[in-house]
Amino acid sequence: MKTVGELARAAEAALALIKSRPDVREAEVFTSANSALLTRLNYTSHIPCNGVEEPKSTESDGIGIQAVFESERGALIGFGSEPSDLTPAGAERALGKARKAAVADPEFVSLPAPAFAPRVLTDYHDPRVMELDDASLVDTGWRITGGALRTFMASGRLAALAGDDEALRRLGLILGGDVTILRERIAIASTAMPRPQTDETSLITAFATAMVESQGAKGSGASTGTRLDHFTDEAGVDAAQNAIGAIGGQRVPSGTYTVVFGRQPVADLLNNIVIPSCTVGAFYSSSTPFLGKLGRAVASPLLSLYDHGAMPGLMGSKGITCEGLPTGRTDLIKRGVLVGCLSNWYETQRLLRDPAIAEKLGAAAPEAQAALVPRNGFRFGAGGGRQFDSPPGVAASNVVVEGAEPVNLDELLRRVGNGLYIGRIWYTYPINGMRAGDFTCTVVGDSYIIRDGRIAAPIKANALRINDNIATFLNNVAGVTKDVKGTIVWAADEVVYAPEIAVTSVHVDEIAGFMEELD
Amino acid sequence: MKPISVDLIDTVTPIAQERVRQARRLPHLRYADLRLEVTEAKGAGAENGTPKFSGDDYGFALGVRVLAGERMIAPGYVGQVLGTADVADLDRIMREAIERAYRRAMVNGERKADAREKYGALGAALADTHLHPIPALQDTVAAVYRVDPRTVELAEMVRYATDVSRQVAAVDGRVKYNYISTLTELSRELFVSTEGACIDQSFALTQGTCSVVTVHGEVSQDLYDAIGHQRGWEILLDGATELPLTFPAFRDFAQGLAREGVELAAAPVLPTSDGDVVVVTDPHYNTLLSHEIIGHPVELDRALKMETAYAGRSWLLGGLSDHQIGRRVASPLVTAYSDPALPGFGHYKYDHEGTPGRRVVHIDKGIFRGFMNSRQTAAIFGGEPNGHWKATDASLVPLIRMSNTVFDAGARAPEDIVKEVDRGYYVAGHRTPSIAESRENFRISARRVYEIRNGELGRLYRDGGIAADSRDYLVNVDAVGSDFRVYPIPNCGKGQPMQTKRLGNGGPTMRTRARVIGG
Repeated sequence: MKTVGELARAAEAALALIKSRPDVREAEVFTSANSALLTRLNYTSHIPCNGVEEPKSTESDGIGIQAVFESERGALIGFGSEPSDLTPAGAERALGKARKAAVADPEFVSLPAPAFAPRVLTDYHDPRVMELDDASLVDTGWRITGGALRTFMASGRLAALAGDDEALRRLGLILGGDVTILRERIAIASTAMPRPQTDETSLITAFATAMVESQGAKGSGASTGTRLDHFTDEAGVDAAQNAIGAIGGQRVPSGTYTVVFGRQPVADLLNNIVIPSCTVGAFYSSSTPFLGKLGRAVASPLLSLYDHGAMPGLMGSKGITCEGLPTGRTDLIKRGVLVGCLSNWYETQRLLRDPAIAEKLGAAAPEAQAALVPRNGFRFGAGGGRQFDSPPGVAASNVVVEGAEPVNLDELLRRVGNGLYIGRIWYTYPINGMRAGDFTCTVVGDSYIIRDGRIAAPIKANALRINDNIATFLNNVAGVTKDVKGTIVWAADEVVYAPEIAVTSVHVDEIAGFMEELD
Repeated sequence: MKPISVDLIDTVTPIAQERVRQARRLPHLRYADLRLEVTEAKGAGAENGTPKFSGDDYGFALGVRVLAGERMIAPGYVGQVLGTADVADLDRIMREAIERAYRRAMVNGERKADAREKYGALGAALADTHLHPIPALQDTVAAVYRVDPRTVELAEMVRYATDVSRQVAAVDGRVKYNYISTLTELSRELFVSTEGACIDQSFALTQGTCSVVTVHGEVSQDLYDAIGHQRGWEILLDGATELPLTFPAFRDFAQGLAREGVELAAAPVLPTSDGDVVVVTDPHYNTLLSHEIIGHPVELDRALKMETAYAGRSWLLGGLSDHQIGRRVASPLVTAYSDPALPGFGHYKYDHEGTPGRRVVHIDKGIFRGFMNSRQTAAIFGGEPNGHWKATDASLVPLIRMSNTVFDAGARAPEDIVKEVDRGYYVAGHRTPSIAESRENFRISARRVYEIRNGELGRLYRDGGIAADSRDYLVNVDAVGSDFRVYPIPNCGKGQPMQTKRLGNGGPTMRTRARVIGG
């Protein structure tokens, strides 16, 4: 994997080469090296399996150039990239592609200019993660699998259900999930910011799902971190314990309930609906439920939401954006009021000049500026990594949810009295488009019936569908817990530091009754 | 340095074959395969009638799988993105990739053997990794196109996309936003294995996508759709008339979507029914339905629990001897299958482990018959491999993916299926899905829902769709049309890290009973 020094020297040399071209008015060089190491886990007691299914990796490095060319047609903006070559020859090829691809985008204003705020996060990666060998990669996967298998074997409840060791296998004990280790290095230099800036990030996530399938019981476990010495078998152990705890799950009739959303559902709803609704592009295209509502209430006063890419120790933190701008805190919803949007340089510049900005955002350009600071211009690829082969998009980093007057979970359950605790949802989408805000999802595990202010019984997995609107989730907040925990959802860019949130009047429908006939 | 083109495969094939032959000498190596892929792609995008991007670039990727182990056999993988600068060094790169995948497999095999000894009865489920035997084939498959993607001028693509975008914007003042994207590419995939397979397949692919947002008062309708085929640029200009894959020229298609958005933004929200009502679904809606409730649950990796933590399981299989094969899961009118021989995005001759793709019938006149599989899953579950192990690019590990998964045609005239309905709903065009974890329940929204009264289509509704339990829905089908169509699905996500893949789905007009559900 290329060092940050090599990436910085390549960016500097490429910028020098570009500056020598008379037709280039502005340019930005982005070099990166990414490595994703991943072990995918698959243990099934009743089906022959590998335990650790896929120890694998994908690696890439290269150079991306965004340049503004002077032409007879005026300024043309283009992007080109070249993989696996950080030499001037590679830069030459990337520049050639950018020139060939350049278009006359009338909304383009300029490439990013230096920010007034200084960078706050440096040297926050773990060098040991950067040097992980093949055996250690495989071992991380077996550590999680081993944690789950030990927990299953030590369970008196499973032993009582099975009767003997051989029958334990017939319970259908499952462990799935992965350990993902992302290593990202970047350098960026531009005509506006010629001194190369670098960033180096490492992070480890473990995500596990366990089942006692014969009992329809499912549980999850996860851990996130930025240091290898913090990595344990916690995710496997938690998943297995939660699956065992879910045995005896009950069906819940259709109706309207007060629901305590656990951390994964909060993260899932944010990832699929709330965060996309807070990106500047959703306002530009008139497709957000918050259209024209900057400075107005969009949620309960109990709820605040911000993105913070520069908080030390949080998993999604970065020193700089992929535009070379400092990361930092962007308040999105403050005590229920919409106060900001996630943006990058291009999107901010064009929305500030959009004649319809007041209609779209709810504020005119001078007032809007503070809400559109470009702290979220990232080039995340599928599966992670900061990709040299694409111009910056908009993505969240660490999204933190905070509640006013937070309480501990026991107190929240007491306040709820009777309702549902929903700990894991699945396939959450804005089913009728983003602006309508209607969403649906199913409840897939880690969920319980709340009776008389206490957790009373597990809810059967895959037997409940939520059909509601995001306005219910945001406005009917009855309470929020104190503790937030880093939570990741499948294929998401960001990490949500989520509390548990109690919401009144949530509509759920009982589903899949025919599955009982199959048992 | 010579630019990378698909012709590179001619040069590297003997080197790759020799590298894989040499790999056989590694101690305890049982199997290895290597995939190389080169893509030459051009794309252009426009927004609200102005150009936004274009690109003319190549992709070059390598993937290696090794099965090895001294005490137990286990898999190891490596994936890598390559560039022009790597061409001269490809022999070393391929050797090192094989060695690295081999090291991972060897360590994985040792850890699996340790775990098998350590975890008693639960350890007994850990098994050697075997592949079902297939003939080792050598073949070359040519791409099909009239206008070679490599010959299309990038400037012409920009002009065309911008022109289409401008015409979409001009449809109506209520079209507030549109984004038009076009792509044409030629790719070539090489597969070689230690068993002696050497398969060289080429594909042309062209796609157009349209996003449009229409606004009427407080209502925004954001619609998205795509057309595409494994053909050249001609399919955007002329459309496709290759039954069952038909679509209009892209310009007409995009304008049609805009007109639909305008009409829908002014329509009322679909009222939710209290219970099941008669619904007639059109081929486009059934395209997503066949994808979600037929295609995904018949992927054998999912059914064998390998996706428990991500894409979910399948209600069609509990264990190796506990499944729905041979049981009724649908009305006798329903037949469904996957077939790589059908035209469109899901067409291919061989999958990514060299297995010839063949039609696999999932439901035959209502009786469940079997799964799409891979060599590994066929070895576990039984049955012949049917060629559905596919990756999004060579650097990624393949998964079981749909080819073209469809509901088969029936004998009824579609207009008669509507005429017979006294009161019901006609559900047309798919929009957004949300499916339960084992695919036992779904809610899928439609673009348009019409009331049916006395056999005639009546009032148009927006923001509505169908919610049902999958088996009940299929069992209640009482009419199947003769108007069988296949449509492209441009973005199916599965795996960890998520791989987004193009494939095909389809079906005819069908009638059944379900709950209609609005916003």
